[in-house]
Amino acid sequence: MQARLTLAPQAILAIVNQMANNAVLDPVLDRSFAACSHPIRRGILERLSEGEMTVGEATKDFGVSKPAISKHLKVLEEAGTIVRVIDGRTHRLRLRAEPLDDAYAWMTRQRDLWERKLDTVEEYLREQRQDRESDKQGQADRNRATTTKETR
Amino acid sequence: MTDMAAASDAAMTSETSLRIERSFDASPREVFNAWTNPEVLRRWWAVHPDGTTPIAEVDLRVDGRYRLSMEGPDGERHTVQGEYREVDPPRRLVYSWQWELDAGGLGPASTVTVEFHDEGERTNVVLEHTGLPDPASRDRHAQGWAACMDIFRDRGFSAAA
Repeated sequence: MQARLTLAPQAILAIVNQMANNAVLDPVLDRSFAACSHPIRRGILERLSEGEMTVGEATKDFGVSKPAISKHLKVLEEAGTIVRVIDGRTHRLRLRAEPLDDAYAWMTRQRDLWERKLDTVEEYLREQRQDRESDKQGQADRNRATTTKETR
Repeated sequence: MTDMAAASDAAMTSETSLRIERSFDASPREVFNAWTNPEVLRRWWAVHPDGTTPIAEVDLRVDGRYRLSMEGPDGERHTVQGEYREVDPPRRLVYSWQWELDAGGLGPASTVTVEFHDEGERTNVVLEHTGLPDPASRDRHAQGWAACMDIFRDRGFSAAA
């Protein structure tokens, strides 16, 4: 069996606490996922991961119209994954990783919680099986004892 | 890296969802029962060894609701509730998932799908939890999540690296 990460019970409580109190995550998640769902937007993010650059540099050669590019930039800005730095007439774009980190953190926390839940149900099922087997064994022992008595 | 160990049986799929597989030494009927029978849920749902499950309510039918709480030794209680979308014992369950917020009201809805695959003596459980409230919004963002995370991770932008 694969080695599995098991979090301390206290850590699980902290996770549940966080999950249970995160009322605002939904729109954040939804927008982060939306930001990532188009190849052109991913392309823009990839370029910006090299560093801040002008709108022109970040969006050239995608082979789509200007309005289409504007739409993609709007989705990225609304998701908070990019910010526009206006310097006179030049608009520069800068990457912001926080929204994706939030979405990733949500997934990680939810995964940790499920892993721990699966551990617990696995333990429970194992105990059930052991109980059944020891019952069976006990029954067999009793049967044997009875038989021995009878044959005596 | 600690993350690698978990990656063996859990993965972030490209479909914006979390997928976990686990094989159990029990029949699909037993595992399905552990998932849906309130009496059994009370025994494991709390997760914490000193925790309890004060509320375990299950109305196991399509559109039926469930409500499960876990209470830690500190007395703090967290309750999740939702609605069954698909009930196909002992093979498949789909239900919505919403935390009850301390401040009142419900948190964002997400969707859990659990499949119980019969493997003779064992049962392989495939659990998928999508962070998105409904299949439609999930399809809208059906791809790119993983690719996007890679971009950020590769360049050391993300704390998730």
